[in-house]
Amino acid sequence: MGSFTQGLKVIALAGNPNVGKTTIFNALTGLRQHVGNWPGVTVEKKEGIMEYKGEEFLVVDLPGTYSLTAHAVDELVARNFILEGNADVIVDVVDASCLMRNLFLTMEILEMGVKNVVIALNKIDIAKKKGARFDIKKMEKVLGIPVIPTNAKSGQGLDELRRVIKAAAEGKIVGNPISPVYDEPIEREIEHVSKVLEGTPLVEKYNVRWLAIKLLTRDQEVIKLILRYLGQTKMDEILQHISEVEEYYKRSLDIVIANQKYEFIDKLMHQFVTHFGEVRETLSDQLDKILTHPVYGIISLLAVFYALFKFVFTLGTPIQEWLGGVFDALGSSIAPHIGDEMLRGLIVDGMIGGVGAVLSFFPLVFLLFIAMAILEDSGYMARAATVMERIMRKFGLPGKSFIPMVLAFGCNVPAVMATRTLDNERDRILTMLINPLVPCSARMVVITFLAGAFFSAHQALVAVGIYAISILLALLSALFLGKFLIKGEESPFVIELPDYLVPAWKSVIIHSWERSKEFLRKAGTVILAGAIAIWYLSNYPAPIGGGLSYAEKLGEAVEPFTKLMGLDWRAAVSLIFGIIAKENVIATYGIIYGVGESEVALATLMKNAMTPLQAFVLGLVTTLYLPCIATIGAIRAEGGNKWAAVAVIYNLALSSIVGILVYNIGLLLGL
Amino acid sequence: MVMDMYVRLSQMHEGETGIVVDIHGGPGARQKLMGMGITPGTRIMVIKSGRPGPYIIAIGNMRLALGRGIAEKILIRRGA
Repeated sequence: MGSFTQGLKVIALAGNPNVGKTTIFNALTGLRQHVGNWPGVTVEKKEGIMEYKGEEFLVVDLPGTYSLTAHAVDELVARNFILEGNADVIVDVVDASCLMRNLFLTMEILEMGVKNVVIALNKIDIAKKKGARFDIKKMEKVLGIPVIPTNAKSGQGLDELRRVIKAAAEGKIVGNPISPVYDEPIEREIEHVSKVLEGTPLVEKYNVRWLAIKLLTRDQEVIKLILRYLGQTKMDEILQHISEVEEYYKRSLDIVIANQKYEFIDKLMHQFVTHFGEVRETLSDQLDKILTHPVYGIISLLAVFYALFKFVFTLGTPIQEWLGGVFDALGSSIAPHIGDEMLRGLIVDGMIGGVGAVLSFFPLVFLLFIAMAILEDSGYMARAATVMERIMRKFGLPGKSFIPMVLAFGCNVPAVMATRTLDNERDRILTMLINPLVPCSARMVVITFLAGAFFSAHQALVAVGIYAISILLALLSALFLGKFLIKGEESPFVIELPDYLVPAWKSVIIHSWERSKEFLRKAGTVILAGAIAIWYLSNYPAPIGGGLSYAEKLGEAVEPFTKLMGLDWRAAVSLIFGIIAKENVIATYGIIYGVGESEVALATLMKNAMTPLQAFVLGLVTTLYLPCIATIGAIRAEGGNKWAAVAVIYNLALSSIVGILVYNIGLLLGL
Repeated sequence: MVMDMYVRLSQMHEGETGIVVDIHGGPGARQKLMGMGITPGTRIMVIKSGRPGPYIIAIGNMRLALGRGIAEKILIRRGA
């Protein structure tokens, strides 16, 4: 968050998904926060400043996880943060209405040997409604750490939480946390491994018991780490020893240890919480049966997403257009005051135009994030993911990736940003790479113009055909890229169906605002640079239209290649400008032919210069080639430079292959 | 027969209860399930069986939706 956070005490928030961790984070930090990514991965990182009694603390929101294994990037991020001792205090947000499972993560954290842990026992109101009674004093004594009952949504308990955090950070409260104890054979093996490790420098940095337990579960990261200090022979010896214990239990030790951890938690819980009532079917279960049903579920899903789509684009598009207009007006009002022609162009067309382009996406992205946060908070997102799972899985994608695909029909920029809500890194990257292949509304403009001009009798059929081809290619690309390009196993489908809840509105808005600001910061630079580059290419050494500009020269240079798909330099130049915004493809033709924005005149001129087959290929290639710069910027913001480059190269290659194939097959068929 | 008492989660019907006996499958899937609260000894109730669509099970107040693939990997002792 910049250098002003240096020296601040660090508070880390850990916890399961759906426990209200984000709501607590927003309540603690208010608007003083920052959303970004953890280095090198697509996992969202949120940081903020908490102020209490005149002192400031840096609050870091760790990814929500169920455990701390090495199998998921999110879990590794959280685990390494704790392991490296980066936090002065760890606040473990625990769902009181689902205590057993939540305490599993608590035990995983305590097992790492950290002392300064504070439990925020959240959703205490819901737990009480469900019949649970807590003895908080006893719970603190049993666990050996402070426990503060909270209801993040109403704000209850948060002041006390702040007070305890401050005291813990200042060393005024020091916990003496409990740690799980296992059966004798396991404990003996832990001791055995610990003894071996004690002779290594690992002792200085890590809790040896934790390393030993993780080694018993054959944790890949811990094996790698220990291997560096012990060497292969010693490691083989230990693993052989572990196999013998596994022989004894007739099971992998990860199961045995998890099992005993739950038994341990169960025994503890008896001491401080009265049992919940019997499990019975609730109204929410009845609703789930409908919402996850293959037929009714999909009908409800379509209704919800129609509403979401309407909300984002009906509300967002007019604001987007208004903002575009404001920047146009700003440009024209400034233009006369700048004498130097080059400077004027740079400022008005390049910079103001570029900033306008960036800002005009802001309302869409912001509204999208609000809609997504409402879906997540209300609990519906998990149901949507469940109902789409069977269909999306056929293409190697999880059910949730349906959401970015649908949003892409409106605009790929918010759609790419929406991949953030997927749970697994592989799925996030895969979904963002294929996203640009789904035609957005700007490409619809191009497709319908070409279909209307060249295929008046079959306009709809041709347009639908281009849509169908690109969606099919998106799904096939998911299969292809998932197999060959992106490592990582497909996540097995198991998802928590959280209680249906009314969203915490303030938290929803703060969270969406911060996420949108992150988009501006990261995608903005790419969009602005792109706008300036295109302005330069089209104005130097002479303005476009006379055949002298760099843009036209570039078009002529790549013409030999585009000719393979039957497209001349005009198409090449238009496609270059389409990178700014896809609707520019048609507008650029207008400039080259000197007819401006008259669509009728342009249609006639184009019809004289192109065959219907060429027009079809142009429509298809416009849909498939490079994502527009705003989308590239969004992919960079979410996935980093590497995946932005992959998206560019893959789309370029795919559109070339498809363009060349379709054109030549068309020629063979005599079209 | 003792064997009759053991079924895969995927074979259970709506409203049935049971106790998880074992989890098959790779370490990734297994550890994910265990983190979410499914481990040997866990008492479950089937809210919705997977025909058609996903399985929904109850563990205490928690509800989990599972695909068929993973439901086949969870072994249950019926009726406990």
